[in-house]
Amino acid sequence: MTDAVDAQESLEAVLKDEIIRMYQDVADRPEAEYHFFHGREAAELFGYDPAWLDRAPTGAVASFAGVGNPHLRSAIQPGETVIDLGSGAGLDAIIASWSAGPTGNVIGVDLNPTMCLKAQAHAEASGTRLQCHQGSMEDIPLPDASADVVISNGVINLSFRKRKVVEELFRVLKPGGRISITDIVSAKQLSQSIVNDPKLWAS
Amino acid sequence: MFRLLEESGFNRVRAVVVPNFRFRKPATQNSAEAYGVKAVLFTATRPATGSA
Repeated sequence: MTDAVDAQESLEAVLKDEIIRMYQDVADRPEAEYHFFHGREAAELFGYDPAWLDRAPTGAVASFAGVGNPHLRSAIQPGETVIDLGSGAGLDAIIASWSAGPTGNVIGVDLNPTMCLKAQAHAEASGTRLQCHQGSMEDIPLPDASADVVISNGVINLSFRKRKVVEELFRVLKPGGRISITDIVSAKQLSQSIVNDPKLWAS
Repeated sequence: MFRLLEESGFNRVRAVVVPNFRFRKPATQNSAEAYGVKAVLFTATRPATGSA
């Protein structure tokens, strides 16, 4: 049993490194081709308003690596506190900040501290404020009942411990708070060869 | 995911498939289809009263 737990923890650690490496690469080399759509092409595919994409910093748009459009159902109101789980280069957080307005508060959470700095720089360039905390989605570094809305885009599927992530979403939301999350799901159990391959899992 | 949200105490759980999601590379897309991989937009609410 201990061997199995050790193996799982080891695989998670390798996966964490691979996730950081892959999405850092998208942010650093947005001109490269990946097996998923990214950047403005992906955002337009998922129905992001072109006016948002024109208004947002080029770097934030170019590094976008989401799988859908959580803003379609987020209904963020002025003054609300929003958490963007897996905020990456900051595009979704910046768009959320436009809805939350100057009385609202948008907080990014990302595994990679470098991405947090990038997201904050993009937010500043767009004239918005963004707090960003380095941390994991299985242990969100924010207090209980601190958010009105949690958005996320293509992140939770990367976790081996999705139940813990969902429990964390519940914990950080205020009573009556809501989520609007786009993510990848699979109808069939992935093969062990995929599960054990950090490169495939991270993608 | 839908079940996880309900089991964790969320209500008004909704799931809508993202219509345009696909992988860029055909080989990846073919594998994804074989596993029934989709992108989904989930919405849910933490009840206004009570706890998990």
